[in-house]
Amino acid sequence: MTRPFRDLPVTRRQWMRMSALGAAAVSCSGWIEALAADAASAPGRRRSCILLWMNGGPSQTDTFDLKPGHKNGGPFEEIETSVPGIRISEHLPKLARRMDDLAIIRSMSTKEGDHGRASYHLRTGYMPTGPIAYPTFGSLVSKELADPRLELPGFVSIAPFRGLNPAAYAPGFLGHRFAPLIVGESDFGRVVSGGDGAEALKVKDLSPPSEINRRRADARLGLLADIRDPFLDLRSSDAAYSQRTAYENAITMMRSDAVKAFDLDDEPDHLRDAYGRNTFGQGCLLARRLVERGVPFVEVTLNGVDGNNILGWDTHQDNFEAVRRLSEVLDPAWATLMDDLKARGLLDSTLIVWMGEFGRTPTINGNNGRDHFPNAWSAVVGGGGIAGGRVIGATTADGTEVEDRPVAVPDLLATACLALGLDPMAQNMSNLGRPIRVVDPEAKPIREVLA
Amino acid sequence: MSRLRILILILILGMIPLGAFAASASAPPPAAGDPDRGPGEASTPGGITSSAPDPYALAEAIDRRIGDRLEEASVEPAPLADDAEFLRRVWLDIAGSIPPASEVRSFLLDDDPQKRRKIVDRLLDSPGYVRNMSMQWRNLMIPEAEGDQQVGFAAIGFEPWLRQQFAEGVGYDAMVRELLTVPLGDGQQANRLFSGEEPEPSPIGFVAAKAGDPGALAAGTSRLFLGIRLECAQCHDHPFATWSRDEFWGLAAFFSGLDRQSPEMAIFQGREIPGRTEIAIPETGRVAQATFLDGTRPRWRYADETRSVLAKWITSPENPYFARAAANRLWAQFFGRGLVDPVDEMGPINQPSHPELLDELALRFAQSGFDPRFLIRAITASDTYQRTSAGYAPGQDVPELFARMPVRGLSPEQLYESLIQASGLEREEPLPPFVFGGTSPRKDLMDRFAEDGTSPTERRSTILQALTLMNGPLVNTALNPEGSGTLAAVADSYFLSTREKVEALYLAAFSRLPRDEELERLARYVDRGGPTLDPKRALADVFWALLNSPEFSFNH
Repeated sequence: MTRPFRDLPVTRRQWMRMSALGAAAVSCSGWIEALAADAASAPGRRRSCILLWMNGGPSQTDTFDLKPGHKNGGPFEEIETSVPGIRISEHLPKLARRMDDLAIIRSMSTKEGDHGRASYHLRTGYMPTGPIAYPTFGSLVSKELADPRLELPGFVSIAPFRGLNPAAYAPGFLGHRFAPLIVGESDFGRVVSGGDGAEALKVKDLSPPSEINRRRADARLGLLADIRDPFLDLRSSDAAYSQRTAYENAITMMRSDAVKAFDLDDEPDHLRDAYGRNTFGQGCLLARRLVERGVPFVEVTLNGVDGNNILGWDTHQDNFEAVRRLSEVLDPAWATLMDDLKARGLLDSTLIVWMGEFGRTPTINGNNGRDHFPNAWSAVVGGGGIAGGRVIGATTADGTEVEDRPVAVPDLLATACLALGLDPMAQNMSNLGRPIRVVDPEAKPIREVLA
Repeated sequence: MSRLRILILILILGMIPLGAFAASASAPPPAAGDPDRGPGEASTPGGITSSAPDPYALAEAIDRRIGDRLEEASVEPAPLADDAEFLRRVWLDIAGSIPPASEVRSFLLDDDPQKRRKIVDRLLDSPGYVRNMSMQWRNLMIPEAEGDQQVGFAAIGFEPWLRQQFAEGVGYDAMVRELLTVPLGDGQQANRLFSGEEPEPSPIGFVAAKAGDPGALAAGTSRLFLGIRLECAQCHDHPFATWSRDEFWGLAAFFSGLDRQSPEMAIFQGREIPGRTEIAIPETGRVAQATFLDGTRPRWRYADETRSVLAKWITSPENPYFARAAANRLWAQFFGRGLVDPVDEMGPINQPSHPELLDELALRFAQSGFDPRFLIRAITASDTYQRTSAGYAPGQDVPELFARMPVRGLSPEQLYESLIQASGLEREEPLPPFVFGGTSPRKDLMDRFAEDGTSPTERRSTILQALTLMNGPLVNTALNPEGSGTLAAVADSYFLSTREKVEALYLAAFSRLPRDEELERLARYVDRGGPTLDPKRALADVFWALLNSPEFSFNH
């Protein structure tokens, strides 16, 4: 096999241990390293990332790259934003007023048009090929950024729908330790809805049944230690030791104040209203509360308008009505998130990324819908580490081709790494015993969008 | 007390003789061979007995080879496991679950010196073996189905097909031939399923999962059946290994007849163009002819089917890779690592830890008619497999010496089956893909314990897994003193002393009797009633602690 270090006296196991300790983050590319060092040396707190994931593939032509006057443009009007010259959809009025902190990338150009495979590509940075289990971006970031003193998991995924490709949400070769804590998951036929969206966002199995009070819980844990420790003492097994660690961390979390992050009742009504009383709105509020408590990576999925469906952005039919309604959920939630982070002094250290797995055809199909379109579409970055108020790249007048500055998936993720102060060329040991870089080494970060 | 609870109680206490439970729990599958056969007779279909190799002679060979290396390295191997440790391990490895408490009790009392071999024979005839092997080999053969619902759907007949193979005792070579040459379907499977028909057993999922792509099929075939990883040679000559880009595409050419109607689909829909034996190498302008990995080319005859010709070459007893790759995988299934490890990286760069042993396993496996049960008998009869996982001695930590049994994480299926076995709860059948509204305690548990691609000896536990076992619905139901499970049955039996109750729970969860000091302490806790001053609740606390201990959730 391709043991990359076969000349070195380091076994794979030792390597895994070293990587686990973060000692093995080898960096190989001078200029990226310098950039990363610049970003990381910026004053202030540890950085965090909030990914707003638009499940199903949002239509760029009806959100951030309108084509007024062209037959592909559809009925939506453009509106001015707080940045002269930048215009977006009339259904995103609140975001329009916060454009100074956002940068639109209008030249996303990717190759995969299948939901499952494209989700994997966008969310891991790699194409699903062969047996390498690439980690999802949240796992990669949380591994690099999580503070060991943190009493919460370093990666929380809010309201995901993983059905079409669970591997796109998995920690892959980084292992379970970097798996997301998932709340409010949707599944086929099980859509998180009802109420104001907050109840579904609680952590499952976080508390013991009501009849187990603290004294009894402690008694049980005492029994567990008595039974477990002689077993572990007689066996040398990292796998079994990791179970004890997981229990310790779980108990710390159950009993910590930090877990109150999941209790949205602490928030004033007017703020909860402003985010929107729906799963995505309340999910964005939860994201702020988690970031505030030091969680480095939070993703919030917008599946659809509540109770409606799970691939809401997959608008093969009646695109315009669907996008309008989705925009009405997206706009207040995202805009309030920006304001709320800013008010708390967190926006400068929190990167926000908005994307789906692909865009949608500029041409309108016979059902008044738009189909899958990876060729030319939009993503948005903002907040910490980003020079806002600008547009990167452009598409042709009909929207079908990228005209300027094509951006591939690794380019986008490498940019996100740099904005977070991470070296995209750092390596992790894969399940094949071969080191894999955080982002594909061919990535060309979008330097002009970095603050 | 309900009849079910009485039955459970009787089983726990081991009041029914050994055979009775076995007869109900493990009715022999169809055509599974003669249950009364002697220990040395392999059960190859077609009744090859005269030339069939002896698994127990092979077990001795295993110990000799492993022992030689241990001696060279001056490492003292761990002592043999006691009966309880062995029984639990062999149940998990063969039948995919811990044993029922009654079975542990009888096994511990049985003074037949051949009892370890006999239990292996019995487990190999059980439905648990068929289920466990089918699940494990489905995960190996179409790992894509785990991550991708569409693939899972296209491959819905795959596990039933595997079950058929293992139940009928089909040789591994015949199985692989059928898999590689499966006729491409009419594309109507989905419609039939939606109209409520049972999925037809079929290995088509392998082709479907690779999206019918010749490159992916070549890579998957070579990795699975030859233990050779060719993926890197797809785009460039491999810098370390001996495989070149031309060799990769030479193998892919055997699949060049697959005509994908919609190449962007994640699953295969299409037909096969017969007689096609060449493929264009991307971005070179060159064409590769169908060529075996040993560099030879088939001499085509009229009406040869391309995939059949490849399948015949791959599964030939003369192919050195085929039997070795399979033997190595089976070894890894029982030890948590292969003699070549990682298992898919066989080749000059990654030498086996015990080359002669691997050759011998492969040779005998082929001689047995590629019967997996033959190799399993040999492996589980060896001292090497039967060593304890406990204790320390210098050098025993070096995994490739096999001086001691490593502690291995359970697969999600093993964990679920074991929880059901220990708790006496009713088993819930898995949901097929695309079942709408699908959520259940089983599914939640499987999701949280899903494999993460790491080896079972290096698996890491998560916070969510801990929360699930500490507070989740499955364990909570198991702890309900008014319920119908093991705990309720034990707690209610007035004729048992506290010590006997604790013993019963140990047998159910850990498949062993408690040590004196454990028994002492826990019986005292129960008698005093714990914080609630209620012995029944205190007994539930003890069961909670057992089910949350690594001794329960690991194979050791």
